[in-house]
Amino acid sequence: MAFISSGYDPSSPMKDRITDIGPRKYDEFYPPVISKNKGKWLYHEYLQPGVFVHVAESGDEVYSVRVGGMRLMSIGFLREICEIADKHCGGYLRFTTRNNIEFMVDNKSKVKPLVDDLMSRKQPGGCYKFPVGGTGAGITNIVHTQGWIHCHTPATDASGPVKATMDVLFDDFVNMRLPAHLRVSLACCLNMCGAVHCSDIAILGYHRKPPMLDHEYLDKMCEIPLAIAACPTAAIKPAKMELPGGQKVNSVSVNNERCMFCGNCYTMCPAMPLADDVGDGIVIMAGGKVSNRVHAPKFSKVVVAFLPNEVPRWPTVTATIKKIVEAYAKGANKYERLGEWAERIGWERFFEKCDLEFTHHLIDDFRDPAYFTWRQTTQFKF
Amino acid sequence: MPTVEFGGKTFTVDEDGFIDTFDNWCEEWVQHVKKEEGISELSDEHRKIVNVLQDYYRKNGIAPMVRVLSKVTGYKLKHIYELFPSGPGKGACKMAGLPKPTGCV
Ligand code: HEM
Ligand code: HEM
Ligand code: SF4
Ligand code: SF4
Repeated sequence: MAFISSGYDPSSPMKDRITDIGPRKYDEFYPPVISKNKGKWLYHEYLQPGVFVHVAESGDEVYSVRVGGMRLMSIGFLREICEIADKHCGGYLRFTTRNNIEFMVDNKSKVKPLVDDLMSRKQPGGCYKFPVGGTGAGITNIVHTQGWIHCHTPATDASGPVKATMDVLFDDFVNMRLPAHLRVSLACCLNMCGAVHCSDIAILGYHRKPPMLDHEYLDKMCEIPLAIAACPTAAIKPAKMELPGGQKVNSVSVNNERCMFCGNCYTMCPAMPLADDVGDGIVIMAGGKVSNRVHAPKFSKVVVAFLPNEVPRWPTVTATIKKIVEAYAKGANKYERLGEWAERIGWERFFEKCDLEFTHHLIDDFRDPAYFTWRQTTQFKF
Repeated sequence: MPTVEFGGKTFTVDEDGFIDTFDNWCEEWVQHVKKEEGISELSDEHRKIVNVLQDYYRKNGIAPMVRVLSKVTGYKLKHIYELFPSGPGKGACKMAGLPKPTGCV
């Protein structure tokens, strides 16, 4: 395609440059009913999964219809979202913090046509384009990351396993049958971009092999002290290496016994790649939450040490998650988040109820704090 | 890896235009990056930043933190951006021949 200039002049890059203008102010995009009643809302109710109403002091009502979003979407798809907003909502819409899409209307009579329109739209392959749901005590969207679409440090994909998991959990997206809401998140490496460390169920990409060392390029491409300082277990030290040609270079050596495959060194040093097709896979964590409701926020804990990457549908991963969800749905009390349930019944019971194998990998061995995760009491169940 | 030619010299660079190794740095490289970065005139201040970066890299094996660069040169970050519009990493480190910055940048 021929080059089409935007007016930017590469020979004087600072000319006419606009900077530090920040984002557009949020209230420029408020639907009129939101602008008018801002700060004056009285109460809200769920009318059905995915549909809720907020009532203001003035008596005004705003009906929100939440639909699942795949997060990674084309401009064509965004245009379709805009078309729906134009048709039903005066051109207004918003995205949620879990990347769902919300369409708002100011009158009850407008809800059904909107929902019917949304549910009638399908992808050529048969998937709902705009499934209505994601509210209340169900399973809403999966917060996720770049995966093999765009990042260079992943141990698994993001979009693929998310699609596979949401397909398996779809009934809980369009229903509110669980004891409390259940948040699922995914990160494709343990940089943990997103929310895996604080979700009810978390899917995490994991390596099982130490980095390979490209001695020829390492000193040229990497700031060696950064690579050394990147290692949480101090497995890396500086080393002089001899290349096959006899040339001596500065590089590093890795003590494989100390390496636990975090990949942090590769983040800092491109000459230490570690991704591996059979070595890489997925860890499942459970029991985290961020709200302060009843119990303080919690970190999620590792409950499955390794499941293989099974492209394109990750059947073992999705089956394991489904097992945990069903055990929780059956066992937990109303309002009880997954982590609260696991702590009430005891983690030994959690493993039994979810039919998960307990392996030595799950026992914390990282520095002094590991000790506090062991059991210093005789209180346990057989 | 791609190569660029400037002032009669050939440099091997990566896709972001960073030089393959510090050892191949030379005055022609500075002139090449000056052009790439749209810097009209190389002042003593540009030279000072490049020198500080290179000294620090030779001594420590890493690029200095931005605060160290500011402290040693006496230039505030704003002024560093005036000199190198792409900033201390993509602009100044590239001109100084240091390895490409890594991490979640
Ligand atoms: C006085 C004003 C408001 C208060 C006190 C309020 C309070 C709350 C509370 C307590 C929840 C949590 C419900 C739960 O987790 O079960 C909630 C959820 C929510 N509210 Fe509001 N809200 C207000 C106004 C609004 C407005 C104006 C909107 C947008 C039109 C809005 C959108 C939402 C959404 C999208 C949720 C999440 C529902 C879900 O995840 O299931 N809220 N609100
Ligand atoms: C009005 C026209 C366009 C606008 C406003 C536009 C805008 C953008 C923006 C904002 C980005 C993101 C940059 C960033 O990540 O910071 C982007 C990326 C990109 N655009 Fe466009 N774009 C336009 C047309 C096109 C066309 C016609 C093509 C190709 C035929 C194209 C290909 C790309 C590619 C390949 C990327 C990089 C994606 C990536 O690295 O993740 N764009 N564009
Ligand atoms: S979690 Fe890791 S691999 Fe995934 S996007 Fe973040 S840094 Fe990249
Ligand atoms: S992968 Fe992690 S543990 Fe292993 S050497 Fe690199 S930084 Fe250290």
